[in-house]
Amino acid sequence: MVKTKTPDIAQLVELYSGDLLKRAFYKISDPEIAKDIVQDTFLAATEKIHTFKGDSSPRTWLYSILNFKIIDHYRAKSKHPVKMKTQSVLDFFTDGGEWRENRKPDNWHVEEGSLLDNSEFQSVLASCLDALPDKWNACMKMKYLMSKKGDDICQELDITPTNLWQIMHRAKLNLRDCLETNWFKN
Amino acid sequence: MKKIINYLFLSCLKATELIEKKLLFNLSFKEKVQLGVHKKICDACANYEKHSLLIEHGMAEKHHHPEMKIDIEQFKKSTLEKLKK
Repeated sequence: MVKTKTPDIAQLVELYSGDLLKRAFYKISDPEIAKDIVQDTFLAATEKIHTFKGDSSPRTWLYSILNFKIIDHYRAKSKHPVKMKTQSVLDFFTDGGEWRENRKPDNWHVEEGSLLDNSEFQSVLASCLDALPDKWNACMKMKYLMSKKGDDICQELDITPTNLWQIMHRAKLNLRDCLETNWFKN
Repeated sequence: MKKIINYLFLSCLKATELIEKKLLFNLSFKEKVQLGVHKKICDACANYEKHSLLIEHGMAEKHHHPEMKIDIEQFKKSTLEKLKK
């Protein structure tokens, strides 16, 4: 696909809106934000259209712009102050670091495969995830939706490795508590 | 003997932190041994790890297919209008 002709932006919108929206939605799972991000992508493409050399296909070029926008989105999100009152580690553990008696993780007695295919369970999991503070949520989504490695997440969110696994730990403690309350005990 | 116990001892807080660390980075040899011993003697932490992995798998992309409700034609129109400005 080597083209030297500058592509027409209206044509790009016509051809690639569907694909880009799907991609953005997949990574962000919020339709309004996905639309904003794809529009931003086209805006950026318009401004930079003369730099498009045609070494890659217009599609690849747009995807790379979109990717930057998605990372920017998560980066901005992770800088927001924590909004939700989440439970601290001391709600789960004693000062000595042992589980509090009523907080000990119990056996859930579940068959993982069928549980994960259950769309109701998935939606409980999704709402528990949304209830997490933005920064934690951003770390989780970078890891699982974008399949980023630990070191890359640290770099992109500008945090230390210790910071990251501690955030993940706090996030998981709250998530599993949320699942237990809203799914397993419901 | 005391030395060995101190070497192997982990609190549940530390053990669950290591369970999460392991999912992101490599554990040191000492951490691996400590965690392995702790999970053998602590059911709560062993359960924690199962739950953590369940959440992990639940978040993986293959199970994550919400339906996309976006009107693409409408989107194209509004994008083109914005670009004209």
